[in-house]
Amino acid sequence: MSHTQVAPQRRGAVALLVIPVLAGGLVAAALGVYGELHPPTGFAVGIAGFSGPLAMKVWLTTIAAVLAIVQVFTAFAIWGKIPVQGSWPGPVHRWSGRLAFLATVPVAFHCLYSVGARYDDPRVMFHSILGCLFYGVFVTKMLSLPKRGLPGWSLPVLGGLLFTLLIGLWLTSSFWFFTTIGIQF
Amino acid sequence: MSRLGPIYTLAVGAVMTAGLTVASATASPAIQETSASVAAGPQANTEATPEATADATPDSTQEPEEVAAPEDQDTTPKKVDYAGVVDQNGGLIAISIRNGKVVGYFCDGQIEAWLKGTAEDNTVTLEGKDTLVTAALRGGKAQGRIEFKNKSWRFSAATVKKPSGLYRATAQVRGARVVGGWIKLPNGQSVGRIMIGENAGEAAPAFDGGVQKWYGIPLTPQDPDGFIDSFLS
Repeated sequence: MSHTQVAPQRRGAVALLVIPVLAGGLVAAALGVYGELHPPTGFAVGIAGFSGPLAMKVWLTTIAAVLAIVQVFTAFAIWGKIPVQGSWPGPVHRWSGRLAFLATVPVAFHCLYSVGARYDDPRVMFHSILGCLFYGVFVTKMLSLPKRGLPGWSLPVLGGLLFTLLIGLWLTSSFWFFTTIGIQF
Repeated sequence: MSRLGPIYTLAVGAVMTAGLTVASATASPAIQETSASVAAGPQANTEATPEATADATPDSTQEPEEVAAPEDQDTTPKKVDYAGVVDQNGGLIAISIRNGKVVGYFCDGQIEAWLKGTAEDNTVTLEGKDTLVTAALRGGKAQGRIEFKNKSWRFSAATVKKPSGLYRATAQVRGARVVGGWIKLPNGQSVGRIMIGENAGEAAPAFDGGVQKWYGIPLTPQDPDGFIDSFLS
């Protein structure tokens, strides 16, 4: 009997994810199609203060990656996996996430507008694919957050995916830059 | 937590993207108006230089197809360097001939193409990635057309002498190849681009002919005499 009572509830909970996942999938696909079809301009407006757009992207991505580590830590704290005093993990998680996302926007913009998605070299191919997926998962997570009654695993899985994708993006860009060219501003 | 918080986050990201799109579309003029900048910095392309368009070549550019029929004696120059502005695009093109072998470079700071080809009967034909250049050599000028991807522009490039002309520098850094290309015109206008690997690169900083430092990597620009053999091999 208990099965008949629990099953519809679970189905309902998972169903809440349908629209966020669809929206995220659409965003990821749209970015991929744009990156493929848009003729690269070789130029895009970015953040001033670096010696060039490559350095700008490398450092903004690094900022986002550091904030992503803060994200994981505060997420553990929110879920009680790390004992902390006070209620700061929630706001810190939200604001570090917002800042990390906003730090990636000029980077992704430059990548897609100026360069476009490419598949002729493994680093660039993985970077292109991870980048499109990252924003898809991000949209999914943002649209899932306000929903009540989601399956308990939803946010940890989405957050974990985002962290993994972002670190993958950092490894295929900033880490490559630092190890190939050096620590340069 | 406001339930709309995440939506605001997405909205701010969307607004930022829209702002960057508008700014980039404005700062980087449509390709017809782009001027190869007298580069003042890596992002110097944001400042279009009016002189570049003012210096644009006369409209007397003629189709390469109209070249006079081959003569008995091939009068194609053995050693000559041409450099000039690409009409409409505003970028620069340089073509250097060394005993029938030809190297060329087209760059507007944002897009670039390295070219190789042949010269005979006072006609040069060069090819590069997504690029085809044909030009007639006449009266101390190379006049012709460049086809880049789906676009096509005319150009007229006059004979130039060092320090004007074409420069190329290569360097190897921890498994990645860095290639810099620059074109300098007698009026001081210059343009260049530095690539690391096939997919990453930037507009080059202002070019003064000496060793160029790019993120600490020293690049030594060579004139065509210096790089033509390794480039064509």
